[in-house]
Amino acid sequence: MKEFHASAYLIVLLLVLASIGVKQQSSSDEAEIGEPAPVFTLPGTDGESYDLESLQGEFVVLEWLNFGCPYVERHYRSGNMPALQKEFTEKGVRWLSIVSSAPGTQGYYESEEMNVQNEKMGGMQSAILLDPEGDVGKMYGAKTTPHMYVIDKEGVLIYKGGIDDQPRASYEKTKLANNYVRAALEEAMNGDEVSEAISRPYGCSVKYKK
Amino acid sequence: MKFGLVWAVVCGTLICSSSTYGQTDDPSPFSEAALVGEFEWIAPGTRFTVGVTLKLDEDWHSYWINPGDVGEPITLTWDLPLGFSAGPIQWPYPEKIDAGPLRSYGYSNVVTFLVTITPPNELSEFPVTLSTTADWLICKDVCLFAQETVSLSLPVREAVPTPGPYFDEIAAVRAKLPVRDPAWTIEASHYSNSFALRVSPPTDAAPDLQGAYFFPAQLMLIEHAVDQPMSKDGDAFVFAMQQSEYATELPDRLQGVLVASEGQYFDTARTVRALEIDVPLRTESNQNTSTTLPILILFALVGGLLLNLMPCVFPVLSIKLLSLAEHNKLDNANRVWHGVAFAAGVVVSFLVLAGLLFALRAAGSQIGWGFQLQSPLFVAGMAFLFLAIGLNLFGVFDIRGFTFTGLTQSGTSHSLTRSCLDGALATLVATPCTAPFMGAALGAAVVLPTAQALAIFVALGLGMAAPYVILSTFPALFDKLPRPGQWMETLKHVLAFPMLGTSVWLAWVFGNQAGVNGLGLLLLGLLLFAVAAWIVGRWPSVQVTSSVRIVTRGIALVITCMGILSAYQGAQQQSMSHTDVTSDGLWSVYSTEQVQQLSREGRPVFVDFTAAWCLTCQVNKKTTLSSSTLLSAFSQKDVVLMRADWTSRNAEITRALESHGRSGVPLYVLYRGNNDPPVLLPEVLTESIVVDALALLPNRAESLKSTISTDT
Repeated sequence: MKEFHASAYLIVLLLVLASIGVKQQSSSDEAEIGEPAPVFTLPGTDGESYDLESLQGEFVVLEWLNFGCPYVERHYRSGNMPALQKEFTEKGVRWLSIVSSAPGTQGYYESEEMNVQNEKMGGMQSAILLDPEGDVGKMYGAKTTPHMYVIDKEGVLIYKGGIDDQPRASYEKTKLANNYVRAALEEAMNGDEVSEAISRPYGCSVKYKK
Repeated sequence: MKFGLVWAVVCGTLICSSSTYGQTDDPSPFSEAALVGEFEWIAPGTRFTVGVTLKLDEDWHSYWINPGDVGEPITLTWDLPLGFSAGPIQWPYPEKIDAGPLRSYGYSNVVTFLVTITPPNELSEFPVTLSTTADWLICKDVCLFAQETVSLSLPVREAVPTPGPYFDEIAAVRAKLPVRDPAWTIEASHYSNSFALRVSPPTDAAPDLQGAYFFPAQLMLIEHAVDQPMSKDGDAFVFAMQQSEYATELPDRLQGVLVASEGQYFDTARTVRALEIDVPLRTESNQNTSTTLPILILFALVGGLLLNLMPCVFPVLSIKLLSLAEHNKLDNANRVWHGVAFAAGVVVSFLVLAGLLFALRAAGSQIGWGFQLQSPLFVAGMAFLFLAIGLNLFGVFDIRGFTFTGLTQSGTSHSLTRSCLDGALATLVATPCTAPFMGAALGAAVVLPTAQALAIFVALGLGMAAPYVILSTFPALFDKLPRPGQWMETLKHVLAFPMLGTSVWLAWVFGNQAGVNGLGLLLLGLLLFAVAAWIVGRWPSVQVTSSVRIVTRGIALVITCMGILSAYQGAQQQSMSHTDVTSDGLWSVYSTEQVQQLSREGRPVFVDFTAAWCLTCQVNKKTTLSSSTLLSAFSQKDVVLMRADWTSRNAEITRALESHGRSGVPLYVLYRGNNDPPVLLPEVLTESIVVDALALLPNRAESLKSTISTDT
């Protein structure tokens, strides 16, 4: 039996080593499903600095935001986005709304004014981050507002795309749409694989610096 | 107050003088809709066309059925009298709308969407009113929703309808609908993240499609904002499009509209500016149906057999065989069972490895065969294992349960479990070798459906176990061997050298991943391990008192732990040094984007998918790919040389390998650059193979150079 133990331990050890080694993931600069989400550091409108890397161990939602966009307005005014933000931030999810509008374009505000706008819209996110140069937006390939990304506790991107499957919904029907972000978070929190990891982002164009 | 904010935002970003701007009082800001019919009246049962016309203010846009990166197409909700039905929107061909890094497809100024209306066969002669609610999105720098209900009243008469005031206008709109023209030969193909659309004109037409653009009807298929370079291949025009990062699976057909540039037409009558495209999409995977499963399984069997000759496996197996010879007192039936147990151990271990690989892939890791060697920790672990085997063969140490050969064991310990575990161990020591020599073959297996892939791994295991099984079944073969004796010890010592050699090679692989500092730490760790092994061997447990045993084993354990810690530290050096992949003068670092870019420009690219741990790759690199004949042949054809180094995990390279149906190295790909499918060259690469492949390239290096020089 001793032999059995010695050899078996050895084999198990090496298999474990192999899988640990594979799991060691380095960060990339592309938002690919199943890959580590690109890391960034951006200032929040609350005066804090937010470093994605330091949020490992928690689920993170990135939401591209432009309060001047009618799609964004629909999701906030209908209460859909704030309710989603509230529900999941209460479950420990870090919800970061990123504004990549360049100064002088729609949706760009200085921190203070952004907070006032957010108050009016009823935003319940963890923080609003300012990306006026558009670097983070372009790194993630954010095309629209809203454009949603979900990152799991290991820092791996598990969802990218639209907020839901109803680009044309009315205010009333917005909450009835199939919300991809909720589905992804619920599946991931249950330890399941995200069944729809990619969808078409819809909304207004991100107002990048020209 | 509800809309105050929108108001403020919109006014803040635009210069808005009018107080009506952005107000939802005007449900269709900056645009007006109208419904027009082509005839003066309706005849029962006679289909007719109506048009929903949008008049857009300057610089505002509405969108096509595929709006591109942003936007929404118009929707029409019809309210028709009983018995009437409305057909789908007939979309005029769109234009490109670029905004920064985003591209949309849509319309400006005036656009009319035609719809065919079918009235019932029975109609009383009362006027009918057709009504539709149009919802559209209108964007300039900002986007606004718009809605308008428009209607059209028409009299009903039995006579054939005569043209109304909008007849010519609707006819003009019809000319903007894409045309399906069977005279044109159209083909679509996909490879390696890009699409090629090949259109060949009929013999009489000689259009110039320079500047033509393919608008895909499918939403998430091609990257809209990336240009579509066109090249000519004989009479055919070939357009290249990049696959969208949002394309989850490939469709069976490619659909869309090919629009000629301003002033160009697809027909000699100069009326058709847009061709409707709806053709089967040829993909690489449905081209390669020739390699069938039985052949792959046969290859796997042979490959497994050959594994026995690999330097890392050969010593272990030969000693295993000798041990069997030594135990010739075993009866035949027992021997066969040992053979079976060994084979089972091998096969199960291969399945475990394959299972691990599939599980990791299912979990989203971009890895392929050889993944085990992309982990520096695993490489270090294997280096320790081979050192241990080597030292053991030299007789430096010999602890119970840590004997790989059974040779030094007493006869009684030769159990079936032992044989099975020996099989597992043989597989494990074979893993570094399967990657270098069989990476490509196994790589092909990995992308097959799971059941087929597992069948290939089983065949590989059976092939590897075959010699042992055969020899144990025919013990007469052992009679040819000399009697066991001193020569066996000598043989063991000789066989220790390939083991140590494997260790050296693994250390080199590790060095490639972790740099010279990491390598130093690994070597230190190996040395410490050797010291521990020596201590254990110097004071064998059977010859010393229990206190001596405890002390020596304790010291050995501490030293081993220090060794492992040192190697572990070494492996952590990884991220600092390995990212700097060599890019010497001739070979540039692989980038999918760049390959596609160059391909679109019509420039051939040769990619060497390689890894430090891949012996075949290294041999090809040092011989064939370094030969001056070949290098000058490359430069004659103006081929861009790229090297994709897969020594460490790299998702981009894994994806590229997969796009060619592989998940292992080596792989040699010649992208011909004319949007022709790339050529895969064999793993055992010779100069003549490459030169022959290069001969396929058109001899146009000079003309290409002149076109490329403008943008480089």
